[in-house]
Amino acid sequence: MLSALHPLGKLVVCMIWIAAAVLIFDARFQIATIVIAALALIVLDRTSPVLVLALMIPFALFGFGFLTTSVLFRQESNFALRMAGESLLASPAFSAGITLFLRAIACGMVSALFALTTDPGAFVRTLMVHWRLSPQIGYSLFSAMQLVPDLAAEAQQIRLARAMKRGRPPRRFPGPFEMFRLVIPLLAFAIRRAGRAAIAMEARGLTPGAPRTVIAAPRFRRRDLAFIAIALTALVLCISWARSRG
Amino acid sequence: MPSEPHAPDAARPAHWQDVAVRYPFADKAAVGPVKLTVEAGERLLLLGPSGSGKSTLLQTLTGLIPQSIPAHVEGSIRLFGQPVKERKPSGWAATVAQFFQDADQTLCGMRVEDEIAFALENRALPEKLIAQKVAKAMRRVGLPEEWRPRRTMTLSGGERQLVALAATLAQDAPLFVADEPTAHLAPEAANRLHRLLMETNEARSVLIVDHRLDHLIGLVDRVAVLGNGGTIVAEGSPGALFRDKRDQLDALGIWRPLASFLDAELQKVGLAPADPPLAVDDAIRHLEGASSAIVRKARTAVAAFVAANSARPFEDAGEQEIVARLVAADCAPFLGPTVLRNVSVDLRAGEILGILGANGAGKSTLGASLAGLLKLKRGRREGAPGGIAFQKPENQFVAGTAREEIATSLPRSALRSDHARQVDEILAAWDLAGPQDRHPFELSQGQKRRLALATLTAGDRWPLLVLDEPLAGLDANGAAMMSKHAEALRNSGRAIAIITHDMDFALRLCARSVIVGEGGLLAEGPTAQLLFDAEILKRAGLAEPAIAPAMRWLERAPEC
Repeated sequence: MLSALHPLGKLVVCMIWIAAAVLIFDARFQIATIVIAALALIVLDRTSPVLVLALMIPFALFGFGFLTTSVLFRQESNFALRMAGESLLASPAFSAGITLFLRAIACGMVSALFALTTDPGAFVRTLMVHWRLSPQIGYSLFSAMQLVPDLAAEAQQIRLARAMKRGRPPRRFPGPFEMFRLVIPLLAFAIRRAGRAAIAMEARGLTPGAPRTVIAAPRFRRRDLAFIAIALTALVLCISWARSRG
Repeated sequence: MPSEPHAPDAARPAHWQDVAVRYPFADKAAVGPVKLTVEAGERLLLLGPSGSGKSTLLQTLTGLIPQSIPAHVEGSIRLFGQPVKERKPSGWAATVAQFFQDADQTLCGMRVEDEIAFALENRALPEKLIAQKVAKAMRRVGLPEEWRPRRTMTLSGGERQLVALAATLAQDAPLFVADEPTAHLAPEAANRLHRLLMETNEARSVLIVDHRLDHLIGLVDRVAVLGNGGTIVAEGSPGALFRDKRDQLDALGIWRPLASFLDAELQKVGLAPADPPLAVDDAIRHLEGASSAIVRKARTAVAAFVAANSARPFEDAGEQEIVARLVAADCAPFLGPTVLRNVSVDLRAGEILGILGANGAGKSTLGASLAGLLKLKRGRREGAPGGIAFQKPENQFVAGTAREEIATSLPRSALRSDHARQVDEILAAWDLAGPQDRHPFELSQGQKRRLALATLTAGDRWPLLVLDEPLAGLDANGAAMMSKHAEALRNSGRAIAIITHDMDFALRLCARSVIVGEGGLLAEGPTAQLLFDAEILKRAGLAEPAIAPAMRWLERAPEC
């Protein structure tokens, strides 16, 4: 359901929510944000709960750095907290660390919600139509987005070729030394691909500054307005709840 | 400025006048001086040996060379009477639809639907019209509707080629330029696309470079031949050219249609048809109803032709040791889902096995599984590991020059002088002595293919070799070289599996074949039987070899 929404509506809601998570230094608000984002993914977008949990791991590790800094280095943590611009709710360093920890996860979950429910192609098309993103930059973004999985496919082919020379099947995951040896050929592949994509686009008429049609650009519908209204109402309720308990 | 469609008028669609192209730091011109014209409504086939500059010449047509790819260009190039340099390359997009040699050069890496619509979006056509043109192009090329949201880079090489063709056809430009459009396509798809590209249309001119001539040649109006020096060395109607300039074309290493070889055999016995034939059928049609004396005489010629194009039977098959075997195997690409189930096949020493099937059927996966390079999802593999010549030869290259590439593939134990001598011999055997000091990525497609095959066959490391589309990008000399090496390896007791879309090549080299399709093996047996089983060919999306009419005639013609 979330995937069918207009990318810009989602982007605006997510940016507002991330800004609120940064500005409101309250553990309950951060927890509410995490729960709402996770539930939206699991219930409305049918994302696997395991995937949602797995996505939390890198953000949790990042947040854990704040937690340890707060607990183990109180002086430095004051500095870190001042830098973050918040005022503590008269709690010890540990609770401040927990809030920072939750904030990292909350921001991560909101970002994941946008990334998992938005087709990158539709997003770029929307930017070209509504925010006048130049087609040159838009299609460069297209190519760059496509390059990531293609690099993986190319890496697999190179690994197969090298495994053949070694005389045994490749391991499922490459080791650090093998990764290092893949860097140069993959870089060469990326440069070649970029050059080819540029020539292909030019040969097919992509001209700077010329009027062009953008097909299949998402359109704003009533459901997008409803989504924005519901999301912002939920945000206001969460803020009010956090303030009332504070 | 968006390009405006150029109404084809009396002016010639394309004209090169004394054009020569020299790349930066190159000591000689890559092509030229060339004088060549594509007339209105004409279907012109450009032939030339590997590295003769065909692709370079095509890229000068809209100014991609030198405006996007640096090079020094002499002479003048005109499109519909207008100097090419008057517009940017993108300004010619509505006038010239270009299909490049590598489908990745035509596609921009988007979804199938977006790729086909891209050029039309750039012309600012209404969205509704674009949708109609996209649907029409997909129907014409035979792309399934469910491909629309698929990313082009997740498709197989042949499937990408189909999408690139749909994208180019959708442009509906008055001049269509195609550089090896069917190199990776299964026969049925290749034949369909040749017909599509070459359909008679006064409003459209076609300039095509292709090596797969047997079904194409009857559809072209004129042939021009680029020589090794990058100049036009022959030009004319296809029939006359392949009869009158046969020796010259052979010397240059240029592909000829099979009918031309049969024509040569019939000429030896004085029974060639009056009009030079373009298809095998044409070459023998005049023999129907001929006297028994004439048929007897012709029979020797046709039999010689068929023998030269058929594989030697694999004798004593039961006595040869099995080099590799798959038993009830489920095969899957690396980190991918199962694509072939319950596959059982073996390969014996001294045997060449053909692996045939439509695009995306799983032939490459089967080849890699047979070589022991992919772990099976189920079942088992027996035998020593094999070597593979990959479809994209670049993936195999690790060294800085062609010479080093071969040197590193030889056993290290050899003496330094012996080692250098062996490298020289291999370079000479694969006609790579000239570009031996160039980086492998700088070589032409044909040279890259030969280098990949040379590195794989150097030394005797692998008792089993899998060659994935070994003819792609090769000229006739390169293909002959490849066949000769494959036969020599077979005679030395190695087992070889060849994945190919060229049914005549399979018939010529592979005594036995397997046909892949419908998620498993559809059939296995002697190639000469499989390729004449209409039902199997239809299920697999294949077509019978071009030599078929001659074989059928031989069966019908009385022996004495």
